Amino acid sequence: MAELKPPDSRRCTYFFLYDGSKVRGEGDPTRDGICYFYPEDTPLDMQDLLCGQLAGVSRCVSELSSSAVQTLRLRRCKFAIRMKEDFFWAFGCSMEVPTVSVCELLDHLISLFCFYNGSVRQSYQLSSKENLASEWARYLSHVLSGPSELHYIFQSVRTIDLSNVDPLLLLKAALILQACQRCPLVLAGCILFRGRVVSTQMPPELTIKVIVHESESYSKIQRSSGESPASSDGGSVSSAAVFLTPSELQDLKSAPVDKTSRFHPAAEKDAPPKKTRLSRTLSDAASCESEPPRPASCQSPQKGSISPHLSGSEDSAFSPAPSQRAADSPSPLSPCSNGTNASEAVEGDPEESHYHSFYSSGDVVSQTLSEGDGSAIEESVYLNGATSATFSADDSFGEEKMTAGLKAESRQPPPGSWAPDSLEDSPLVAMTLYTHRVNSLVLALLVEPGFMSDTASLEEVNHSSLASLNGLEAHLRAIPAAAPGAAGPYLFAHHDSVQHTLTTNVSGRPGGAPEHPFVRATSLLHSHFFDTETLQEAIIRNAGTAVYGTRSVAQETFFQQHGGSMRNSGIPNQQDSAFSLPSKARHRLLKHGVNLL
Amino acid sequence: MRCLLIASESAEVLFHWNDREYRQNIQQKYGVSQEGGEGLPAFEDILSTLFAPIIISCSTLEDSYTTFTTENNHVYVLHQFDECLYIAVNGDGGEKEDDLRRKIYVLKKMIEVMFGMVTLSGNLLRKELRPQDTEQRARLWKYLHSLLDTYSLLRENDQSFLVEAVERLIHPQLCELCIEFLERRLVQQLNSSVERAGEEVLHAFVLVHTKLLAFYSSRNASILTPSDLLALIVMAQDMYPSNIDLDDTSPEDVESTSGSGPESFYTPEPSPSSRGSSGSEKAGRGETPVFEFVDPEIQMAEDSLHTLEISPLDPSSPRRVFLEVSHKDGLYPMMPHSMYCLSLWPGITLVLLTKIPTSSVAMSVYKYLEDFDKLEKRLHEGHGGPPSARSPLNMQDIRTKMDKFIKALGTSELQSAHLQNVWVEFKTRAYTKGGPGFNKELIPWCKNMKTQLCGIYRQCFLSDSADLTQRLSAGLQERAQAMVREKLMDWKDFLLVKSKRNITMVSYLEDFPGLVHFICVDRSTGQMIAPSLSITERTTSELGKGPVANYIKNKVWALVRTTRRYLQKGYSTVTLRDGDFYFCYFLWFENETGYKLQPVDIPVLPDDSPPIGMLACDYYKRLLRYYSKNHKGETVKCYELLTVHLGVIPTEIILQHCRQLASKLWEPSRNLLL
Repeated sequence: MAELKPPDSRRCTYFFLYDGSKVRGEGDPTRDGICYFYPEDTPLDMQDLLCGQLAGVSRCVSELSSSAVQTLRLRRCKFAIRMKEDFFWAFGCSMEVPTVSVCELLDHLISLFCFYNGSVRQSYQLSSKENLASEWARYLSHVLSGPSELHYIFQSVRTIDLSNVDPLLLLKAALILQACQRCPLVLAGCILFRGRVVSTQMPPELTIKVIVHESESYSKIQRSSGESPASSDGGSVSSAAVFLTPSELQDLKSAPVDKTSRFHPAAEKDAPPKKTRLSRTLSDAASCESEPPRPASCQSPQKGSISPHLSGSEDSAFSPAPSQRAADSPSPLSPCSNGTNASEAVEGDPEESHYHSFYSSGDVVSQTLSEGDGSAIEESVYLNGATSATFSADDSFGEEKMTAGLKAESRQPPPGSWAPDSLEDSPLVAMTLYTHRVNSLVLALLVEPGFMSDTASLEEVNHSSLASLNGLEAHLRAIPAAAPGAAGPYLFAHHDSVQHTLTTNVSGRPGGAPEHPFVRATSLLHSHFFDTETLQEAIIRNAGTAVYGTRSVAQETFFQQHGGSMRNSGIPNQQDSAFSLPSKARHRLLKHGVNLL
Repeated sequence: MRCLLIASESAEVLFHWNDREYRQNIQQKYGVSQEGGEGLPAFEDILSTLFAPIIISCSTLEDSYTTFTTENNHVYVLHQFDECLYIAVNGDGGEKEDDLRRKIYVLKKMIEVMFGMVTLSGNLLRKELRPQDTEQRARLWKYLHSLLDTYSLLRENDQSFLVEAVERLIHPQLCELCIEFLERRLVQQLNSSVERAGEEVLHAFVLVHTKLLAFYSSRNASILTPSDLLALIVMAQDMYPSNIDLDDTSPEDVESTSGSGPESFYTPEPSPSSRGSSGSEKAGRGETPVFEFVDPEIQMAEDSLHTLEISPLDPSSPRRVFLEVSHKDGLYPMMPHSMYCLSLWPGITLVLLTKIPTSSVAMSVYKYLEDFDKLEKRLHEGHGGPPSARSPLNMQDIRTKMDKFIKALGTSELQSAHLQNVWVEFKTRAYTKGGPGFNKELIPWCKNMKTQLCGIYRQCFLSDSADLTQRLSAGLQERAQAMVREKLMDWKDFLLVKSKRNITMVSYLEDFPGLVHFICVDRSTGQMIAPSLSITERTTSELGKGPVANYIKNKVWALVRTTRRYLQKGYSTVTLRDGDFYFCYFLWFENETGYKLQPVDIPVLPDDSPPIGMLACDYYKRLLRYYSKNHKGETVKCYELLTVHLGVIPTEIILQHCRQLASKLWEPSRNLLL
């Protein structure tokens, strides 16, 4: 019958990295090749057995099929397998996690390692097995730390719960990022609060990697000093080396940031500050956004309804900027000369510069905002209200990306967007992750390696963001933590596959047994959606539960209604409550910002 | 790129089947790895070398492998049955994981039908599947290949093999007439004839292609399970392939399929006189006369357990098949029967199943096997002391019975010396006072006893001599054939057409606008109804050959796979909006009077559980047993309905259609079931 397992058994049962190059000769013990094995307390003999057998058999199968093994299943455990050169990764999960998801988890894990350490082979040449083992442990614990079982099925970026956050704060965060991006050495950034995303300019795949670093340092700080106030002189700044794949880098760089027009000093002071109108404008813009409580993923469901409104009202104001930028001939300005002025521009109030952009579009100050489109897709995704100037272009861009992603997904099991490029042969590019912490708030920027030695740039970024960060932090901190909502008469999960965000009221609290049937059905339906491109919606039911699932190009939504006696013999019957699920889902989920049209 | 192989634990290939692409692929691989070798070794040796690491690893790991997938979408499915490891591979995307698993189980079912309880002894089965004599091996493997090909073709084209339920011809009067004829005339006459050589006809049925026209079981026969019936239909199809039948194949398709595998369309000479010079000679299949000259005496001398002829191959000699029998004191799987397949006309076949006189030996053997198996399990669990005290396993009782059995064997022609010796040894160990008694040391002797019992069974029912003495005489078979031919002569052409358009969608369009296709299955009887997919009343070309028909067919096939997946995970109702179509699937229970019973939670099965269906492993029988636990004393029936509607039809209407179909469909046919 329905098997009820504690959630823990669903998590990773095994994860290991095995280096076949260390075990060449007959006499070489298998354990020489084991780079990392989880759970770490597994008896060595068992480790030897699993590594040796799985790696050996996979090699044999790969040779028979002239292709690397991708998944391997035992009777009670399924493994995602990655083979590259002599390295062999295996990530084992319980049978209930969809195979797609297991593959995604492993790819994610490997890409995390490569992001922070560079290529695997090189890392093992440069560093000791023990050091790197602790790295793997770190990433693994991060990957496994999802609050509910659903987080194993859908890999997602964790965003702050924005249902009671003033949208103005989000705007503010976005503006800080834009301000930082004016420094040519800054590629893109994101702002995190208590280890969760407030705003980001990076693609979700990158954001999720950056979060790992941040959520760790956050918990470290919490452990060491509790909520100790950071030094008043701007919190702590740190940096770490990271490695981007060429395609990630290209994505960041190819975004239409017009570095040349980053700043025109002369125009700066001409802009008349009109604060009274500013607030109105912002609240106007925000009003459309304030309704959906999920700004992090507001793109997909609401995009359709919001963007026309915004572009209608603001396009005229913005249109000159893009065209002007396009016409601009490249006339590189030195970052230093930018620096001071740029900081000035933002130092007062980022909202102010935003205001300029509305009312002095011919004015150069408006560049402050339009530079935001350096973040291209992501910007429009997060702040479609504020940066609609770039909407039309971004929109199509995003669409393209979505369909491309979808095609890649349907073509082959490892979804394109998560496939670790690090496993490809292309060399990784070293970059730097700059972080600026103000208590629980962190500004994380991906910057060129030269950034940290470039005092002018450093200062510029620091100045441009410091005050605003402090302010933002204070505001965010003031927001009371949302009480864990009562689980309502229904369960739902909404996954945005472009943004990689998950909205759900499944708590994953211990004793979440009543939620288990929903998670199980979701897992099955998700696999089915993944396998069958043409499938749009499905209702499945057994004697006790009925679950409805629907998907579009960019999202998957699952819904289950509690209660309501399911008196039904299983024979086709219009009165069966299962068949009213689609309409109930449409109705109920509206208030969660999920529009099922 | 398909392959299916059976390997022993020591990586010996016991059977293999591959298509040409896979063969080339493997040979190429081997050629590359063994450069400069002088000629390639036998293909099975290459296979064995290449697969050895997998096979050996399987026995090393506690939790065995079930599936591999590779980046280029090759799928490997592995399943261990006792000492035999089955590996199915697909590299062309044509079969999914569950298809491969199903194929493995179907092959196992076929082997069980062919070898019966010999399959219970790994040792004997190994010898049976891989005869040392290479010609014999080639012949056996060829037969198994052909069965697999036939099965695959049916599964891919015939709706009844898609859902694994028998399809009847819907023509109540004719069916009734025919059943009456089988009962009053045919079976009665056969069973009262002196030429039946001790055999007794238990079941007789007429197949029009794969569809059942009439089925009659004599009064003292047990029910023929749907699983066995489906397996017999595969065998009959294999003997008399009806390539025109395939629901969805246009003439061009037929040509191309038969072109790719001509050996699977072998049609034997219809004339029974081709039995040749002597009835005692094992006649080869018509196309393999070379094997006729294998001298049985030489083989007998080599080894008493050496494989003998698996089944006589001249058309008038029966096939030995092992089928489940339900007796008043329980179920007996794999009881020996003889199957006579008589072709009436191309496409129409009469099948007779007879009970052979010595079949009571099989029952005894099965009982003893069961006893020793239980004993072995108990010893494994470590129960000390004489088990008789703790369980229904009464060792003293077994001892007396076994003594009697062996004594009786001694008087027969069977070679039971080995069994006797082992039994004596077993007795001294188990029953002697002061001896080792019932402990773990006895386990090997339990195993040994089982092997010896299987050996006796094998001698009895699979060896050559067993077939020679018992069979309906050729003349009797001819007479039976002639009788039924005469009876059906006027109907012949009608039947052939009817089997192609048993029921058609057209007759439902008026009542159910928007309905594209449906399949309804009565799982308690293992029967199904579905409109023929290829031919409509209006035109044979529009939906029949066009891409639309093919598209819908593929959708239906995919739908069945999907719903099975959900059923395996406990979901008995599924609706899907897929492309322009809306699919529904319902499974429900009724009692005999048609009252709809409350649903229960259906067991959730692991991914590597036997495939859901009726042919290889009867899932629905287990489901019904599970459900009946709460409905004691009531006959529970289980129904399934699949529908395909156009997506534009409102869901309420679709559900209404489903309901109407469900209540309407079985009404006319209820009168004429088995």
